Amino acid sequence: MSGIVVERAEPGVEVVVVTGEHDLSTAPELERRLEAALDSGQPVVIDLLGTTFIDSTVLRVLICAREQAGERSVGFRCALGETTGHGVRRLLELTGMEDRLSAVPTRADAIAGAAAQA
Amino acid sequence: MTGRVSETAMTPLSSGFELELAAETDNVPLVRHALRGLLEASGVGEERISDITLAVTEACANAVLHAYPHAGGQFEASAALSAAGELVVTVRDHGSGMAPRVDSPGLGVGLPVMAAIADALEIDTPDGAGTIVRMTFDVATATAP
Repeated sequence: MSGIVVERAEPGVEVVVVTGEHDLSTAPELERRLEAALDSGQPVVIDLLGTTFIDSTVLRVLICAREQAGERSVGFRCALGETTGHGVRRLLELTGMEDRLSAVPTRADAIAGAAAQA
Repeated sequence: MTGRVSETAMTPLSSGFELELAAETDNVPLVRHALRGLLEASGVGEERISDITLAVTEACANAVLHAYPHAGGQFEASAALSAAGELVVTVRDHGSGMAPRVDSPGLGVGLPVMAAIADALEIDTPDGAGTIVRMTFDVATATAP
């Protein structure tokens, strides 16, 4: 199943867990959830470890979240690893935009990185 | 994996489908799932399916997001898989074309992604008749053993 779940991880990091397939039909909901997470003022992690597919509309939402976090000086990381779907990594490879996501390979690294950056 | 392919919305061909859908974002995953079903049934490998569904999702997103910026409409998506392993996917809208929009919700990377994955990409914009995107994929060499 596809879903977007927001969890709170120690030490006070908002983790937005994105599972399954996401495209322009779910991008507006993801954008709302990420805006709410950023509005909390806490560091934000986007967990893409269970994401099987994203299109360029979703990629734009992820990049915008990272840019907004930077503007607000909020800690931010994406977790993007071996369990992330081929389709996600393929889109990043074709667009050359992986370095615009502050991606690290595990959820623990992402939480620690986002918290340290805040 | 979510499965929201509507069997009744599909017109069976020898191997393929034709869908005529409202230009709504919820219908884009429907096309993707129909295509995935076709390719899985034909034994195409997972990575190739993933690539092809990405290219086709981008084409459908263009049809839905660019073609009718001000009002709803229809779009058509068809896929035909030949015995020789050539997949032809056509996405057609009847809207105002894929001209850049100031409020574009994309990154402007849809076309390059489609071009990188498809073995051939043709885009026709017949006057006043929307946009036709036709992508050809060789899936014979990618077929799982």
